[in-house]
Amino acid sequence: MSSFDALLAGFGNALQPATLMWGFVGCFVGTLIGVLPGIGPALTIALLLPLTYHVPATSMFVMFAGIYYGAAYGGSTTSILIKTPGEAASMMTALEGNKMARRGRAGQALATAAIGSFVAGTIGTLALTFFAPMVVDAALAFGPAEYFSLMVLSLVAVSAALGNSVLRGLLALAVGMLLGLVGIDLQTGQPRFTFGQAALLDGIEVTVAAVGIFAVGEALYLAWQGRESKAGEVMQVSGSLWMSKSDWARSWKAWLRGAFYGFPIGAMPAGGAELPTLLSYYTEKKLTKHPEEFGHGAIEGVAGPEAANNAAAAGVLMPLLTLGIPTSATAAIMLSAFEGYGIQTGPQLFASQSSLVWTLIASLYIGNIILLVLNLPLVGLWVKLLKIPPPWLYAGIIVISTAGVYGAGNSVFNVGLLFVFGLIGYAMRRFDFPAAPLIVGLILAPMAEQSMRQALTISMGDWSTFVTRPLSASLLGVATVLVVTPPVYRMLKRP
Amino acid sequence: MRPLYIAIILATFSAVGAWQVTLIPESPMQMAVGPSLVPGVVVAGLSILAVLYGISALRGRQVDESHAEDQSPLPGANIRLLSLLGGGLAFIALIGPMGFIIPGTLCGMGVARSFDAPLGLKSLLICSVIATSFWLLFAVVLGVGLGPALPWLF
Repeated sequence: MSSFDALLAGFGNALQPATLMWGFVGCFVGTLIGVLPGIGPALTIALLLPLTYHVPATSMFVMFAGIYYGAAYGGSTTSILIKTPGEAASMMTALEGNKMARRGRAGQALATAAIGSFVAGTIGTLALTFFAPMVVDAALAFGPAEYFSLMVLSLVAVSAALGNSVLRGLLALAVGMLLGLVGIDLQTGQPRFTFGQAALLDGIEVTVAAVGIFAVGEALYLAWQGRESKAGEVMQVSGSLWMSKSDWARSWKAWLRGAFYGFPIGAMPAGGAELPTLLSYYTEKKLTKHPEEFGHGAIEGVAGPEAANNAAAAGVLMPLLTLGIPTSATAAIMLSAFEGYGIQTGPQLFASQSSLVWTLIASLYIGNIILLVLNLPLVGLWVKLLKIPPPWLYAGIIVISTAGVYGAGNSVFNVGLLFVFGLIGYAMRRFDFPAAPLIVGLILAPMAEQSMRQALTISMGDWSTFVTRPLSASLLGVATVLVVTPPVYRMLKRP
Repeated sequence: MRPLYIAIILATFSAVGAWQVTLIPESPMQMAVGPSLVPGVVVAGLSILAVLYGISALRGRQVDESHAEDQSPLPGANIRLLSLLGGGLAFIALIGPMGFIIPGTLCGMGVARSFDAPLGLKSLLICSVIATSFWLLFAVVLGVGLGPALPWLF
């Protein structure tokens, strides 16, 4: 079956009323959590993982995709109306969008963000549709050695490229990898790092770590600061939601350019959404005919970065679906959900779970339309949500987090672990350690170990297999460059 | 707390990790890589990184947000932290004997207190509504096992 036929079959499944309903729920919840501060897509998907025992895989992943895309859409509302970017990728939107809102153009800022997200999300999904099968074809040539090297590259890239310091990124990664190795070794049955505790034999649940770091850790940090209850004002949605002819003329090229930055960078290991939004912002600033408006509410400064952010969200799904490699915390949690269903990820996913993958991709197109319809007419509702007082908002977040973790296995031990991870998350936030490497390390460490052992079994214990196979050697070479370049560059720059 | 303390915690964590690596039993199976090699490499890497972080912290090159102007905590930071953690402890201690709603309410009240909401009837009411709503959503609508709502209800 060609990709086009498979996509059509995917649309057939995604348009079934039940699947559509899950997609709608995902888009609604995603937008909601995108709007609310302190709760993101990784945390939400982690909280919903216990549902994987009750809901069919296709419905669940359609909902997760809706949450993922919806959060990227919803983040713009918070950025524009209260200048609080929920994530680093929304920083530029907060900068220009909030200035537009202060000038009485909040409606147009929200409109260009929503339409730009739709355009770029659709372009990103189109690119995913056509490039993913090519990547799968190439990846089918991968053996365990190449997989191990690819995982090393991903681990290093996520640690070295995210955050402000390679050292802190690598430390977070090492702690995550160590925690990922806790439990019974699947190949030999020997317990590792269990301290004789039966509760640790199954390893540390990704949900517990992710929810602890993202929800409890964030709440602890904000409570420690004590500034949240004195948060900034919510801007009124002033001005029409309809964009003028001039707004359209100034936005459409920025949307396209943003999409072309977002997708390829998002698809790279550790490309993320921050870099394309920054590149998009500075490109628009350079190309605009109204440079005087930048920093005071230029519509291109909202249109481009928002488009880049959403296209990057589609890009992140590429390595996840084609190679089984997560390049962000949300992708890592989704990978864990695949494991929860017993689905083997990697290039074989397109063959073994073709219906699921193409339904998921088709639902991304549909989700984009749902989100466009949801975002603008319901903006009044989202604004009301921003006015929930922090004590009740965070009480709700922590109670739902504990309920989610406790509900997954009725384990009080895991609830205790949740608060321990909360303290780790608080310390990481306070001392500027990035969280994504810890989560990605936790998930990828056992997978990388397994690939390494398989490669060594095939090579009869010959370690040179990782450097004598050209593709594996190239991937390890790139990983080395990523670790070595930043400190060397800094040393050379020093007077 | 300063970055140097974080370095000490990381070094201790590495030492405990190294001790645990020595306790991993060797597998009787014949294989190229046993169960302790990768944990050993990861612990070694963590130890080296912890030392580098400690040196960097000693030189004053590591960050603590409590020193940043717009990030520093307002007075009462430790009490707020303890309120939130106290809510968590109450949940852990009571979830077994008391069902979900009472521990969930107390947990919510601890969190709300940490965001400057006074401990009072209003907090009790709002947090009990939150806990009850989530119990209904998870246990009744989604079928996730959270135990009984209240100890006398099954």
